[in-house]
Amino acid sequence: MKMLDIKNLKAAIGGTEILSGVNLEVNAGEVHAIMGPNGSGKSTLAQVLAGHEDYQVEGSVEYKGKNLLELAAEERAREGIFLGFQYPVEIPGVNNTYLLKAAVNAKRKHQGLEEMDAFEFLKIARETTATLGMDPSFLNRGVNEGFSGGEKKRNEILQMAILEPELAILDETDSGLDIDALKAVAKGVNAMRSPERAIVLVTHYQRLLDYVEPDFVHVLSKGKIVRSGDKSLALKLEEKGYDWVREAANA
Amino acid sequence: MKPGAVQTDLLEAAVAALPADKLAAVRQAALAQFTASGLPTTRHEDWKYTNLSPVAELSNAWLSDTSATSQPAEFDTGVTSQIDAHWLVIENGIVDAESFADLEALRDSGLAISRLAEGADESAIATDDPLSAFNAALLQDGLRLKLAAGRVLDKPIGLLTIDDGSVAVTQSRILIDVEENARLQWVEVALSGGGERQFANTVTQATLSSGAVLDVVRIQGRQQSHFNVNRFTARLSRDARLNYNNFEFGGGLARNDIIGDILEPGAEVNLHGLYLASGQQHIDNHTRVDHRVGPAKSTEEYRGILNGRSRCVFNGKAVVHKGADGTDADQANHNLLLSDKAEIDTKPELEIYADDVKCSHGATVGQLDKNALFYLRSRGLGRDQATQVLTRAFASAILGKLAIDECADYLAALLDRKLDALIDDK
Repeated sequence: MKMLDIKNLKAAIGGTEILSGVNLEVNAGEVHAIMGPNGSGKSTLAQVLAGHEDYQVEGSVEYKGKNLLELAAEERAREGIFLGFQYPVEIPGVNNTYLLKAAVNAKRKHQGLEEMDAFEFLKIARETTATLGMDPSFLNRGVNEGFSGGEKKRNEILQMAILEPELAILDETDSGLDIDALKAVAKGVNAMRSPERAIVLVTHYQRLLDYVEPDFVHVLSKGKIVRSGDKSLALKLEEKGYDWVREAANA
Repeated sequence: MKPGAVQTDLLEAAVAALPADKLAAVRQAALAQFTASGLPTTRHEDWKYTNLSPVAELSNAWLSDTSATSQPAEFDTGVTSQIDAHWLVIENGIVDAESFADLEALRDSGLAISRLAEGADESAIATDDPLSAFNAALLQDGLRLKLAAGRVLDKPIGLLTIDDGSVAVTQSRILIDVEENARLQWVEVALSGGGERQFANTVTQATLSSGAVLDVVRIQGRQQSHFNVNRFTARLSRDARLNYNNFEFGGGLARNDIIGDILEPGAEVNLHGLYLASGQQHIDNHTRVDHRVGPAKSTEEYRGILNGRSRCVFNGKAVVHKGADGTDADQANHNLLLSDKAEIDTKPELEIYADDVKCSHGATVGQLDKNALFYLRSRGLGRDQATQVLTRAFASAILGKLAIDECADYLAALLDRKLDALIDDK
């Protein structure tokens, strides 16, 4: 099933064009990695897909056959899109469990399901933290409040696992992690792989892909996908560096 | 007559028409004082942003015929069952006899309670500012409570002040004495009903003896067309402690003056307030702590959430008098503006005449964090729900300072309802 169909997507912020015509198809069951040097537009692509309102957007994006660009950020989330933030936001005073329960119930309400009560929700949340090998005290803390970089990223994975999205976009979820945290995050991502779900990994480095094997690798440069291939493309990039694709793009 | 002034002849006639009871002498002295000063105007530094001329206008209309009454409104007074306390009720400025009798029954627990209408010492009724003098000049009733040395009651005392709309202008006065090493918890809830304009002028004077503790939670939820001026003063002796929590959720024009007077070393004043304003509401919080001696400590944090065309004022003043060495005073005021038509005038203020002091103050005015809003929406929360979550989190810093646990559930639920209504003001 076609999950995501991006055609000639352009995005600008404050008059500066960041994405200049991205084309990409993602099917259910696939894992795509989007790689690229700093400033290539990787994070912008992730944010535009999640519905960030600061960008002026052109082109078309279909998600499960619907026009995604017409939907507000919250509607996209309720329809099954999850963005794992590169910089998860600290929200002091908002309990992690509270946010997760509100998120789950917003989605359930949208699907016409009954809202989950606190008891039922807490049971699922506890099970998920245990499966991910996370400290259950995570649930009682303020959202990302005082979390280390690694804890923030693991919290994103926890949210993803509980929300069970159909399309997960993980923006530099591997950046700033030590090897143990990286393995934990990779384990969480691999556990999410399923024939009904698509995962898009946005990353600067190849190392996450040692643990989460992608089906496709795309290289973004200057706001366009300049090369696509299988996982061997990531290895080649690692070996030759981004200059190699920049040259290819300019040629 | 000056515009925005209370008409002296009307006031004199109204005072003269009150029964020649035990408060008559208090009223006459206060009347003389008020006629000399009149109501403060916006030329007065402390009243720069709050214009009392609608109060004067309403008072004049009422004074011209004080016997006129309107149909009393029905409204929810369920708070007396939702907060576990010994409840007292003051309705339209008159102490409710039944609740008064209930409190009299606490005599064995060390509580002495009397009605001011049955006798009050002239010197005990403070008239040190024009509105207190106005209050005393028209005072018909009020309460005096005293908790005996070393005593702690089994639960808080609650004061429900109701103005049901039948009387346009009301005064109430409470005197609280907490004797040595006693601890009193005091919850006051102010409600009003009726569509007509209304003005309530409330004054509370507290005296804390050595080692005494007074915890106050004030919840002001008057109707948005009503005016309220409220003054609370506390005098603190050695090692006494005042914890004052102020929740200003209602009123069209609401003004608070909270004043802590530190008279002896070791005393502590903690003031924490939250104000929510929307529509055309005007909420003005003035606080003042006088550090007359040291060492002593005062902390203050007020937070406000404003929407619509509301306007709020914060003025927190700490005065460290000459010789009050060892003073530790902190003040902070934080504001969240949800609308570009809302206005906050904030001034944390320090006046320091001593050398060895530790003082800090700060104020912030901001909007909702856009990144946080996007983060929550990307998790499926609608814009209003995300706004509710973020404003609730902003307010929780003050709820976390609550001095009286019995109020926690009631306040949490009330805050949610008030925030929903505030966010809805588009």
